Order: sequence, then C-alpha cells, then structure tokens
Amino acid sequence: MKKHFLLMGTLLLSSAMAFGAAFQLNLQGVRQLAMGGTGTAVPWDAATIFYNPGGLSALKHVQAYGSVQFLSANTRYVETPTGSYSANSREKLYTPFNFYIGGPVRYKSKLSLGLGVYTPFGTGIRWDDNWRGRYVVQDIQLQSVFFQPTASYRINDVVSIGAGFVIATGHVSIQRAVPIQNMNGQDGKAELAGNANGLGYNIGIHLRATDRIQFGISYRSSVKMKVKRGYATFTVPSALSSSFPYTAFRSDINLPQVFNVGVGVKATDRLTITADANFVGWSSYDSLIFDYEKNTASLQDTRSARRYKNTLVARLGASYTIGRKFTAMLGAAYDPSPVRDGYVSPDLPDNNHIMATGGLVFKPNKRLSIMGVFEYVFTPKRDASFDEANFSGRYQTRIVNPGLGISYDF
Amino acid sequence: MKKVYILGLMGGLMMASCKPNIEPAAPSGGEGVDFTKYVAVGNSLTAGYADGTLYRSGQQNSYPFILAEQLKTVGGAKEFRQPLLPGEYGYPEPKFMLMMNQGLCDTVASLGPARYKGALDSVGSSQNIYTQSGPFHNMGIPGIRCIDFLVPGYGALNPYARRMFVAPAGSRAIDEAVIIKPSFFTLWIGSNDVLGYATAGGDQAPATPGGTNQISNIDVFNAAYDTVLSNLRRNGAQGVLLNIPDITNTPFFTTIGAKSLMLSKNDANLLNNAYNSLGGFIRFAEGANYFIIEDSTSPYKFRHIKDGEYILLSVPSDSLKCAGWGTKKPIPGRYVLTLSEVAKIRNATASFNNIIYQMAKRENIPMVDINAYMSTVQAGVVFNGALFNTSFVSGGAFSLDGIHLTPRGYALVANQIIMAINTRYKSTIPMADVNKYRGVAFP
Repeated sequence: MKKHFLLMGTLLLSSAMAFGAAFQLNLQGVRQLAMGGTGTAVPWDAATIFYNPGGLSALKHVQAYGSVQFLSANTRYVETPTGSYSANSREKLYTPFNFYIGGPVRYKSKLSLGLGVYTPFGTGIRWDDNWRGRYVVQDIQLQSVFFQPTASYRINDVVSIGAGFVIATGHVSIQRAVPIQNMNGQDGKAELAGNANGLGYNIGIHLRATDRIQFGISYRSSVKMKVKRGYATFTVPSALSSSFPYTAFRSDINLPQVFNVGVGVKATDRLTITADANFVGWSSYDSLIFDYEKNTASLQDTRSARRYKNTLVARLGASYTIGRKFTAMLGAAYDPSPVRDGYVSPDLPDNNHIMATGGLVFKPNKRLSIMGVFEYVFTPKRDASFDEANFSGRYQTRIVNPGLGISYDF
Repeated sequence: MKKVYILGLMGGLMMASCKPNIEPAAPSGGEGVDFTKYVAVGNSLTAGYADGTLYRSGQQNSYPFILAEQLKTVGGAKEFRQPLLPGEYGYPEPKFMLMMNQGLCDTVASLGPARYKGALDSVGSSQNIYTQSGPFHNMGIPGIRCIDFLVPGYGALNPYARRMFVAPAGSRAIDEAVIIKPSFFTLWIGSNDVLGYATAGGDQAPATPGGTNQISNIDVFNAAYDTVLSNLRRNGAQGVLLNIPDITNTPFFTTIGAKSLMLSKNDANLLNNAYNSLGGFIRFAEGANYFIIEDSTSPYKFRHIKDGEYILLSVPSDSLKCAGWGTKKPIPGRYVLTLSEVAKIRNATASFNNIIYQMAKRENIPMVDINAYMSTVQAGVVFNGALFNTSFVSGGAFSLDGIHLTPRGYALVANQIIMAINTRYKSTIPMADVNKYRGVAFP
C-alpha cells in the first residue's frame, strides 16, 4: 500500500484533464468507465462516492481506491470550403486520477463515511504557435480537482441515502497571439493564468428493489469556479507596453449541474446490465468573461458568448463474471455536444461523442482488485464556425484512453 | 499484471491507428475561365502602394500578387512579374513608419507616423526596367486616372509609368497593359478621378497640369473606361471589375474629427472673449469643440466646422498644436472638405461606380463592390480572430498614409475578388490567409 499512496502523491502534482463532451469527463471509476460510464445504480466499489453517494453504505468494508487514466486526444483542423491548410493539435498526454476511501464506520453499521478526490472537469488543447487560429487560441489548459467528504446512511434493506460536500479547486491557463506586430512582423502574445475555487454538493439515493434489480438517482450541483485573482501577461511592441499592462483579472466558469438516473439488472448470476441517463445542465456556461483589473483603451474586459445547451447522455454497460478471479466489462455511450453551431471555438472544438469501452477486473484475493479499462472516443467530423472570431473549418477528434485502478478492502 | 501490460500495448497500437483522417478539399479552377495569364490593371492600390510611397515589400504584398498566389493553387498565374523597386526606402519619397516623435510644442514624444530615416536604397528606381524584367503582369500605376489610360506618351508624365513601359514616350497605358495578352484580368481604376480633388482640399485645390486635382468629366471617364475594358476583353479574356471606394471613409479624412478640439474651461473663455465682437457666431465651451475653418462663403470668411465635414490628415500637426490653427486661426480650406465638396466627391463616386456597374453587366463579368465592402470594414471585419477597421494606425487595414492599405488590407481585397471569381466561375480557389501578411508594424 505504501507504493500505492506514493503513486497517488505524484499524480496529484500532475495535471488532471477531462474529455467528455465539452470539458466534462466521466472517468471517475475504472469499472464504471469500462461499463460505458454507468455507475448510478450499482455501487461496485468506493467510486460510488462520485457516481452515487447513496451507494456508499452498500460497501461491507472500508475500501481504499485509486485509479489513473492515460488520455491522449488528437484533433485535426482543415480549412473549408477549400484550401490546402490543415493543422493537428499537438500530442499531449493527460492523466486524470481518482482517489476514494470510505465504508461503514463499524462493521455492519448503517452509517458510512468516505472521501473522494477526483477530476470531473478539464480540457486542454495545444496548437502550433503560428497556426491560423493563433489569435483565438494557441494553448488552453483547464484543470480541476474536487474534494468530496461524504456520508451515507442505510435507512432499510431497500433504501440508502448519501450526501457529499464538494470543495473544488482548479487552474486555468490560456495563451494566444495578439494581432499587433512589431517591426519584424512578429505577433504579440497574451498569457492568462489563475487558480479557481468553488463549492458544491453531490447527493444520491440508492434503491435495492429486489435481489436482481437496483436503481440509483444522484444529483451533482453546479459549481461556480471563481478565478479571483489570475494574472495576465502581454508581450507587445514596446511603444504599446503601457496600453497592455501586466494586470490581475477575474473570471468565473459555471460548471454544470448533473442529474443522473440509473438502473442495474442482474440478468444471470454472472451477467449484470446497467443503464444510465445523465441530464447535464450545460446552459450554465453562457459566456466567458475576463475582467481585467487595469483597463486601458486597448485592453478592455472581454465577454465571449458560449451559449452552451443542456444535454442528455445515454449510457449502457455490461459486466460478466468469468471465474472467481476475473470479470470482464463492456460499454457504450452517446454524449451529445452542448456546443451550438457558430460557437465552436478551436479552444474546444467539440462534437457529439460516441464512446466504446471495455475492461477487466482481476481479483487475486478477496480484498484486492486490479482494474484495467480502455476507452475509445469517436467524434464525427464537424463543419463548424466560431462566428465571433470568424474562424471556421472542419474538425475531427479521436481520443484513446487506457486506465488502471486498484482497490483494497480493509 | 501481465494482462495490464498487454492492455497498455494494445492501447499504444490503437493510439497510432486512431489519428483523425480528414483532408482539405482540392481547389478547382471552375468553368469558362482561364487563369493562365493574369494581368492586374489599376492605380496605386494595384501597385501595392502603401505608407505614402511605393517600396519593394509593399509591391511584393500587393493584392494582385496575393491573388496570383491563390490562382496558382488551380494552375493559374504561373508567371507573375511585377516592376519591383530595388529597395525599401520608398520611391520617390521615403515611406512613413511608426515611431516616437516629438513635435515643436510637444512636451513628450508620442507614437505616430514619420518619414523613414534609414539608408537610401532607392538608387536606380527611376530607371526603365522593361527590357530587364518586363512585360509586367502587375500594371498598377500609382497616380493614374481612368481618363489617363488613353493619353499617348503617358510614360513621360508619370515616373512610375516611365520605369515600366516599353515605349514611355509614345504609348498609351492601355496599350502597355495588353502586351501580355491576358487570359484573365482584374481592373480597378477610377479612384484617382476623384481622389486628387479630395486630397487637395476640394475647390481650394491648386491648379495642376492635366487637371489632376479636378474631378474627371463623366463622359470622358465613360469613354475611357469602355475603351480600356474592350481592349482587355479583346481576346475573350475573363476578368473582374472593382468599383471605387468612397474616399471619405478612409482614415485620411476621418482621423481628425470635426468635433475633436479639446479645450479647458479657461482656454474656452479666452477664445470666447477674443471672438466676442462676432456676437456668438464663434462659441467655445469646456470639452470637445468644433474647429474653426476657412470658408469664403461665410460672412467672416471663417466659421465652425460642421458634422459631415472633414479635416485632412495632411494638415500640419504643429500648426494645429502651436500655431493656433482651428482656434485662433481658421484651418485653411485646402485642408478641409466642406459639405458641398463632400457632396461633389460622393456624387462623382456614385456616377463613376454606376458606369462600372453597367459595364460589368454589359460584359457579363463579375464586379466586386469594394465600395460596399470598405463600408463594412468601417464597422469592423474579423478574419481568423484579427479585427480590422478603418481606424488610423490601430485599425490594421489602412497603411500610414490613411488612404492605401496594408498587406493585410490588400489580402482582404484579394479575398473579395476570390469570392467573386468563385461565385461566377464555379471555382473553389481558396481564400488568402490574411494574417500571413503584415499589418501596421509597431516599434
């Protein structure tokens, strides 16, 4: 276990990103991801702290759980309607992680307590510095880590409830070229970076209707991530340096509320089928505002309309027990894009996500589980424009995302 | 754990095979048009004139050159020769550059355009280069009017024509323009048939040989345009016409606002006392005021400027700042366009543009309404995240003379031509990457 915690320690330092539709990721459990991202109805393991806090009291033992994904996304842009220009986003590996610990306060206690540390939102894309969209974005990284202390209570053999308080931290950095050229024809540059904080909650009900059928309902509140004091650095020709001062800025990003309903059916002794629906309240992301502390005639506050729309995500998963030591999982999901036509920026060239997932759990003994998952995300090509910048083209993204996890029952 | 390694290996393999695979569509040259031999006929705007002069890198980023680069993607304009100057200094005058300047009565230096002070590299600019590198595909001749195209021996009157014509002493500009026998042409002429009048201050313009400070006669314009176009069309060449932008929308006329005289309460009072005898005919207040301009029709031969009248960018700024121009003394009429002068300019522009429109219709060839486009630029256009408007210096589209464009501005023009070509000839020539070119350069 010492090694395990060491691993988690180093991962906390690295960045945690997310690639669901828009910048939500649904990678909070290895088993759950392998089953198409379902997890509201069946409390497989301590990851239920995220998927449905009401399921935590179903755990018989205190469990420590850790997992990490190795996500790489490739986006390609081509000029439309014609041309010879295309650009690829730079290769970059993201490592979203999860850590959970929780279980009954005493053996057979109705009350369970836990803590989740996970990375539910994030995004990142890096284009070449001199690519054609450089005045829109060269590099953007959004990271978040949520801390969620959680309590769950088993009311009776059927109904359990749970609630967690969310303390969210994050970091945002954006880099883009500024269309002001020096005597050598080089562009200016704007770099913005800041830490963000927010609060929220996560509540859920778990229903064990019969031995074979379980239901889950959970609700994760929206979280207003506030950048109270970020810093903006501008590199411009010296004659204009007083017009673009080094300045603090404020910004908010409203992360969406998510309402989840799930069902899990034990079809046979070996086979369990799960289905989830997630309602994601993306309309909270209406605009992206940067409020600079020092304004000049050249440096005004900016407001970029995003106008995201709410989405409904459908997920399906299956788990099949092969023997005493192995379980195999499969899943699929359809995660529609919240980004409207005309608002597709190269900082997040989003489209509908179609996901196929698979995984394996190896249980060498009663207490230890080692989990592996592979996710492949396909987005159809999208002819899109970012009207505000008059930047349009065709985008296609492919994401591959293997992951590993380990859990141990005390 | 072995299985985990296998899974990782599989992941690695899939990563390699799961790259996006979309590719740009190949451009097509369309139907009923041959871009092989492209010739651009025009004036300074076609020559790549910028920053108050003609210099080599301006020519190398002229809109005809940018257009030729795009035509190459569909096999056109394989050759595109321009009458390049030897250097960057500017010919005949040095170019404007942005620098920190301190005027006679400025307490601090401020950023503004001033004439280039670098090494003179324009030696040899006046020499005829036809035998060396002609005939030329870019037949943009700074200063030429539509009505000049039929003047025999025009090369003797215009130094730019003189250096690029095969027979400067005897030929007409239109004869020179068709030496290459273009299969495709762009024709953007007519601006100088009204610009000379406007930049010289309208009715107060001093007389010049050939009347270049007068608005051209519309019948002469009509006949000249017709002849030029007929000559270009002679071998069945296709082409695009561009009309005349309203010159009063350019920064040369809009930068110094009519009501941009800022006065303190004290200064306003002092001026009001000085003009007291006129019984309120001249009146100043704290804040923004209308300048005083010369006007021979006014009872006192001067008056406040009105909204819709323009002060030219060529007005000496030291005279405004320390010689009392616009306050104690009226700004001379040659630096001002009054309402009646503005009306003459706009009427002439509209009449000339009507002729161009009718010709395009008659010949069934596309016309770019660059006049309408420039008024959208006035409101602001965005290209791949870069905003362009007609603000002086900061707008990015206009060069430091306030009339001619920057390479980025010329690229915007080239894209308007490409759109017209693509619409008319069903081609899919890609747009120029405007931001690849230079805008206004800051120190």
